[in-house]
Amino acid sequence: MTLAAPVPLEYRRATPWAGRGNGPGQFRSALRGIAVGAAGIVFAAGDSIVKVFDSAGVLVREWPTERSGFCVASDDRERVWVGELSQVEVFAMDGERLEVRKDPPRLGRVTAVGFAGEDAFFADATARCIHRYDGAGVFLNAIGDKHRKGGFHIPNGVVDFAIDEEDVIHVANPGMHRVERYSVDGGQLGRFGHFDGRDPAGFSGCCNPTNVTVDARGRVIVTEKAGPRAKVYGPDGVLITVVARDVFDPGAKNMDVVVDRTGRIYVVDTVSLEIQVFEPLLRDEAA
Amino acid sequence: MSEKYTRREVLGHAARGLALSGLGGVTGLLWLKAHATNAWAIDAGKCINSQLGAVGVEPCQRCATDCVLSLSAIRAVNEFSRCGRCYVCPAYFKITSAVGVDGLPSEKVCPRDAIQRQPIGWIDPDDPANNFYEYTIDEALCNGCGLCVMECKEPAGLGSVRLEVRHDVCLDCNRCSIAAVCPEDAYDKAPG
Repeated sequence: MTLAAPVPLEYRRATPWAGRGNGPGQFRSALRGIAVGAAGIVFAAGDSIVKVFDSAGVLVREWPTERSGFCVASDDRERVWVGELSQVEVFAMDGERLEVRKDPPRLGRVTAVGFAGEDAFFADATARCIHRYDGAGVFLNAIGDKHRKGGFHIPNGVVDFAIDEEDVIHVANPGMHRVERYSVDGGQLGRFGHFDGRDPAGFSGCCNPTNVTVDARGRVIVTEKAGPRAKVYGPDGVLITVVARDVFDPGAKNMDVVVDRTGRIYVVDTVSLEIQVFEPLLRDEAA
Repeated sequence: MSEKYTRREVLGHAARGLALSGLGGVTGLLWLKAHATNAWAIDAGKCINSQLGAVGVEPCQRCATDCVLSLSAIRAVNEFSRCGRCYVCPAYFKITSAVGVDGLPSEKVCPRDAIQRQPIGWIDPDDPANNFYEYTIDEALCNGCGLCVMECKEPAGLGSVRLEVRHDVCLDCNRCSIAAVCPEDAYDKAPG
C-alpha cells in the first residue's frame, strides 16, 4: 500500500446524537449499526428501523426494516444495505426497498456489510466468516472459513470488517486480540495486535477489538468492550491515539464504528443508544 | 366379642408405631435432602457477582465467608455451552496484571487456584492464541468466593460462570447464614 505516514491525532467529542427514547432520531431498545454515505449522510440501524441523519445530526428520514438490523452500509450507488438474520435488505436512499438478498442455508446473522467493486461482502456471525457475492448475488467465496478455529473467534457474537480503498479486508478477530487483513479471495495478507490489559496499544480483556473500520489513509479505527474505548492505529498496526475511553456506557459492547472523509469518527453506544461523534482536531487546534 | 390386650402388647404396638413413624420421618428427610425440595438456591439475576449491569462494583464474597461450613457449600460453575473458550479468560486471568513473556497476564483471579485452563482440540504449538481453551473448576478447591463470576459476566465475559449451592454439601439450615447476610437478597428457598 502507498499510504501517507500516520500523524498523531487528537479528537474533540461533539454532542452525541440519537439516544434511548421515543423521540425523533432516537431508538427505543437497540442501536447496532452505523454507516456514512455520500456528503456525510449517516445511516443508523437498530430496533427495526433505519434512521438517516445529516452531517449535523438532524434526522432526515427513516424507514422500517423487515427484521431488526444488525448493521448498515451504503455503497457508491447510494443504496443502503441492512444486515439482518438470514438476509440483507437493500434500499434506495429514499427508503424504497429494492431487493432482499438471501442465501439459505449459508447466510446466518449478518453483522457487517462491505463492498469491493461490484462484489458485496456479508459478515456472518453464525458461520464466523465473511461471504463474498458478485453483483448479481451469486456466492463466490468465503473469507476466514479456513481459519483453524473454524472461523473468526467471536465470543461477542459479531464479525465486523471494513474494506479499504485498495480492496483489502480488515477483520476484527477479538478472540485472538487481532485485526487481520485478507484479500477478497480469502488469502490472509497480515495481521496486527496482541493482548495487553495495561498498555493501550494492546487489546484488553477476553476478546477485543470487537469492531473495526478503516479511513482513507489506511488508518484502522477499532472499538473495544469492557472498558469501552475507541482507538486509532496506523496502517502498520502502531497505536496512534486513544480517541475516547470514558464517554461510553461501561456495559457497552460491539460498538459499531465508522469514519467519514473528513476523519470524523462515529461510534455506536449499544447501551445508551447514542451515537458518539469525535471530530479530529487540526494540528494547531490540538496544540 | 372384645379382644383384650395386655399392657406388654400395648406398649409393644406403641413402640413399633413410634419406630415406624420415626423411620418414615428420617426417610422423608433423606428424600427431601436428596431431591433438594425447597433447598436454598442463588438467583443469578440478583447476585451482585453475576447481576447484569453491575459493572465496576466490588465483588461480594459473603458466600465464601459466611457459610457455617469451613469450606462453603457454594461453588462456581462454568456452563460450557455459554463459555467462549477464550485464549485470555477474564475469570481465569487477572487481565490488568502485567503481561508475562508468554504474552499472557501474569496473575490469576482465583486466590485458591481452583480453575484449570486446558487447550482443547488440535493444539497449535506455534500460536497459542490459535487454540480454544476449556476452563474447569476444581470443586475441591473452590470456596464460592465469586471473584471469577464477577469477572466473567457481561460485558467482560459471557456470563458462563455462576454460583450454585451444592446440595450434597449444604446442610439446608433452616436459617441460612449466607442468606442472612446476602446484600442483594439473592438467596431463597426454591423447589428442587
